Amino acid sequence: MVIFAVFGEALTLGLVSGPACMAACGPVLVPSLLSEQTGFRRHLRFLSAFLGARLLGYLLFAAVAWEIGALVSMPLGSRVLLMGAVNVLLACVLFWYAYSARQICGSSCSSSKLVKIGTTKESRVAGAAVLGFLTGFSLCPPFVAAGVRAAELGSVTQALLFFIFFFVGTSVWFVPFIGISCVARNQAVITVARMAMALIALYYLFLGIAMLMGRKAYGL
Amino acid sequence: MACKACTPRLAPAAPRSTFRALLLTLPIAVWSLLMFFHPGVNTDPKSRIAATVTAVFMTVLFFMMMRTGKTYRWRRYFFVTLGFLFPVGFIYNLILVRGTMGIPIEEMIAGRTPFCFLPIPLLILPAALTKTIIFPGSITASRYAIAGMMGLWLAITLVLGKGWCAYACFFGGIEEGMAAVPKRARIRKIDPRLRYLPWAVLLATMLLSLALFDSVYCTWLCPFKAVTEYVTARSTIGIIQNGVFILLFAALVVVLPLLTKKRTQCSFLCPFGAFQSIFNKISAFEVKIDRTRCKSCGVCQNACPNFSLSKESIAQGETLLSCMKCGACVDACPHQAAVWHIKGTELAWKPERARLMFLYAAWAAAVMFGGSIIAQGLVTILHFLA
Amino acid sequence: MTMRAKLGYTAAALTMLAALLTPFLLIGSFAKGFAALGLHVDEMYSGGPKLRTVQNGTYSITIHKPVSPHMFQSGKPFVQLDWSPASALPQHVSDVVDVDGDGQPDIRVVFDVPRNPKAPLRVNVESLNPRYDAMQNAGKDKFSRLIARVDNAILVRVPLANQ
Repeated sequence: MVIFAVFGEALTLGLVSGPACMAACGPVLVPSLLSEQTGFRRHLRFLSAFLGARLLGYLLFAAVAWEIGALVSMPLGSRVLLMGAVNVLLACVLFWYAYSARQICGSSCSSSKLVKIGTTKESRVAGAAVLGFLTGFSLCPPFVAAGVRAAELGSVTQALLFFIFFFVGTSVWFVPFIGISCVARNQAVITVARMAMALIALYYLFLGIAMLMGRKAYGL
Repeated sequence: MACKACTPRLAPAAPRSTFRALLLTLPIAVWSLLMFFHPGVNTDPKSRIAATVTAVFMTVLFFMMMRTGKTYRWRRYFFVTLGFLFPVGFIYNLILVRGTMGIPIEEMIAGRTPFCFLPIPLLILPAALTKTIIFPGSITASRYAIAGMMGLWLAITLVLGKGWCAYACFFGGIEEGMAAVPKRARIRKIDPRLRYLPWAVLLATMLLSLALFDSVYCTWLCPFKAVTEYVTARSTIGIIQNGVFILLFAALVVVLPLLTKKRTQCSFLCPFGAFQSIFNKISAFEVKIDRTRCKSCGVCQNACPNFSLSKESIAQGETLLSCMKCGACVDACPHQAAVWHIKGTELAWKPERARLMFLYAAWAAAVMFGGSIIAQGLVTILHFLA
Repeated sequence: MTMRAKLGYTAAALTMLAALLTPFLLIGSFAKGFAALGLHVDEMYSGGPKLRTVQNGTYSITIHKPVSPHMFQSGKPFVQLDWSPASALPQHVSDVVDVDGDGQPDIRVVFDVPRNPKAPLRVNVESLNPRYDAMQNAGKDKFSRLIARVDNAILVRVPLANQ
């Protein structure tokens, strides 16, 4: 019963934190969804890849951090440096993704595959998965709060399960993103989406570099 | 096919007689008197002089629109005057009240930062999700507080739609003035995909503003901070931000308009302009291309200051969503193919009636809003001259 | 004239009417409507609603509700305290404040009040409760950590420690 109460707590924490997760992932998710073709199934596949990889990012971080006892005790400075590095990487992936999306809508907008980054020679990875994985590493306050709580549990398995339930709670808030599949796609929409992605990538790059240099990039 | 050698020429005018033009101008003259001289306003001598000059100025411009049958040139005189006089009055007021163009933190805490229209689209998502306005103003402390200014914006937008960018925006006149200076454009070949940039900036800044809970356009991208007010730099990041504003102003508001003869800030950056374009969908007025008269010469496309005509749209007889109804293409078309139009009516049937109805609405708004800003700028100049 | 054309002209006429009504009716109505939405300015700017006031001789200390950042705002949570009226403050202020109203002192706030109202202010805050961060010689560092003179009051914002 106690274990159910704990996981109920994880689910509730996720539901409450959902808007913040939506806001954090929005700048990455919205333009990348817009640059895909229309279609409910296609967007569902994209969102599933994104969320699945995001969960993987959560779990990987949680497992490593739990093992090294860093979930509670990671100093703020180290956290900022890690976030800075993740932001720089995310920016690079976003730029690459924006470039790769060009191939999807050359003249006929007829490709049936999700946008992949990389060329045909290298192994091609679904862009959605890479973006989801990196946003899972964002160390947002709700994620840190979940981490602190998970660290109090008895084993790494319980901590991982806590994160899974937390993730399910936050993911409810991502369902409305499927609505983007209803937006008509044409050259204009996809161009706007790619440009927005590049602008957001530029911002993340600046944010990441500022964090790595120990400076605040925005704010009150 | 766009005619590279063509410079936009004014179409053969359909001038009216002076008497008829005066008659048509009468309502605007009465409106100007009402706006500038109703009881309780402009009581001191300087304000009266400024109000008189402005009322005469706006009335004469409208008369010329009626007399010559052309819109763009006369509208531009008003718009450029507005663009250059707004900073005069605004900056003077800032220096008078707080001694600096920089916004002190105390003013932000007290909620006395003057509200600006540009971040309106960025306020929507945070307000919808958390009922919070991410702007350091106050909701109702004065007529110029957030509620009052939102009311003003909504009312004028209902009348003008995207026409805000040609008849109300007190920033666009600066670059329109710069674009009017050279006789010919030095840079003619511009990638047409760049006109999607304002939409991308709108999307990116709306999403980032929600995530960071900060009006990202104001914090990072607004070129007009160079001529209004800015947050005083308190750190290296603050210095970088102010540097970006100055750079964007110099590039997009001064240099590129001089080189391209286009409104480049509006065409390539302004997210508020992209947002206002949405209101063109509900506007009763539009500009259309009569395909029976169009010779595909491309003169209208060259004349348009913000890339609101493309080969594809001309082929379909339409302007793009970003059309701000400035009248440049209508005045420039040598075949009278670009026409004012009221939605639902037959194309090119009495276009002058559509133009008149639009101009009465637009000029009434321009007199009320832009005219008061021009008058304020004139009061400031008179203050220094006296 | 077709129905569509009639509707078009009606819409055009209504637009003209709206232009006439703008200064006399529309602006005021829309402003009232906006004010009625119940929105508020971000508390990172405004400092949050006032909770209670503590009288201290010729002046009072107003304690605001603690403010937390929204979404991914970079500021720390803080609590704002107002000393007013500034004209009645002694030259040197050193007050122990019970911020959370539990009867126990939480912080000691020390600052000088210069005669010139435009002179810069500096504040030291000693933390007597680990919930509040100490501040050393702080000025107008950031919105969550500052001392500033606003109208006839001196505001101090004390950051809350990381939870």
